[in-house]
Amino acid sequence: VKVEAMEVDGRKVYSVAAFNEGVASWLARLPTLWVEGEVTELRRQDRWASVFFTLKDPENGACLAAQMPRGRFDALELGLGDGERVHVFGRPELYEQRGELRLKVLTIERFGVGAHLAALERLKQLLATEGLFAAERKRALPRFPKLIGLVTGNDAAAKRDVLTHITQRFPAANVLVAETYVQGPRAAAAIESAIGELCERGVDVLVLARGGGSFEDLLPFSDECVVRAVASAPVPVVSAVGHEQDTPLCDLAADVRASTPTHAARLVVPDVKELRAALERRREALHRAGRRTGERHVLRVTNAHERLRRAPLLALERKAARLATAHAHLGALSPLATLDRGYAIVRRGDDVVRAASEVDAGDAISVRVADGSFGAVVG
Amino acid sequence: VTAPTPSFEEAQRELEQIVERLERGDADVDELTKLWERGEELYRICSAKLEGVRGKIEELSRESGS
Repeated sequence: VKVEAMEVDGRKVYSVAAFNEGVASWLARLPTLWVEGEVTELRRQDRWASVFFTLKDPENGACLAAQMPRGRFDALELGLGDGERVHVFGRPELYEQRGELRLKVLTIERFGVGAHLAALERLKQLLATEGLFAAERKRALPRFPKLIGLVTGNDAAAKRDVLTHITQRFPAANVLVAETYVQGPRAAAAIESAIGELCERGVDVLVLARGGGSFEDLLPFSDECVVRAVASAPVPVVSAVGHEQDTPLCDLAADVRASTPTHAARLVVPDVKELRAALERRREALHRAGRRTGERHVLRVTNAHERLRRAPLLALERKAARLATAHAHLGALSPLATLDRGYAIVRRGDDVVRAASEVDAGDAISVRVADGSFGAVVG
Repeated sequence: VTAPTPSFEEAQRELEQIVERLERGDADVDELTKLWERGEELYRICSAKLEGVRGKIEELSRESGS
């Protein structure tokens, strides 16, 4: 295409149409390619030749206008909804009349489960490398939460399950509920802001509860902003999203994972029946221990009293024993024992005769033997 | 001086401590009586908290759409 410029005062000047035409011809040289984004502002009418929509980058909101022949769009029978992720095959084109860039779409493919899984896996690896799922980050739940924050959808089931079981187990529980979108393109941002608001209101534990759903339904709970909000929440988070087999990334970032909303309720509050039983056990222990200590005191006093009672008698007996011993010693020292063996004591008058020279013949002496004494005359 | 009413958790913990203290069996008689009475008081506090208190469930009022 040859674009003609005018010569005005020695300057090359293009008309708008010519400029657009030139840019358009440059753009036409670009290749046909695949673009990934979210479908928004989809406009389709039976009397229009084309279908119009905007492709939006989920990361930063960058937008690209797109246009597709209606016949071709209808033939795909995709039934696309607002916010759905797609791969679009097309080439850039300038709408010359308005100078607007758009993507001329040849075909659209729904962003498949496989692609979602791959994207999810990449995100999971990234967040794991940052340590968001690390075991040492996990915090213990409070034993007696003062205020429980519940993030849930306005679909009754999950919310009712959690609230019913919380109040059944622990009637004193205070719960602050934030209803949000839990699926669809607006869910991730809504969940993130609900988490923030509940934390600001001073909850000391958070529960994310959502019933089961399709893989796509649960995707917001794997959204990077939700996962980061869960990981950086100032209070412990219980994640009860989907069924047992689903593992949205928020489950990995949460401090505790619950398999169902009912399980979440069990984790987050104690059971009043168990508390009551434990309290009764403790009271019994109090009584038992008190009684035992009391009995021990009584026993000590009784023992002391018994000993006191027996003490005088004991002292007397001890004295008697000592006397007997002394007496026995005395017996051993007595000359009578010696006399028993056949010895005799000889006296002249009152004096004991110790040597033969002390007596003369004819002296009267007395002889003491074991069983008595008799007189004698020295020969 | 009356101490402020403890929370359920605090009361329960103190009750446990008293039981342990009594189970050691070294409390003298005056202390025994005091501990016992305090234990019973804590039991009543916990018990009342388990029975009476009803929490409240509140909806966070939010601007639509967010």
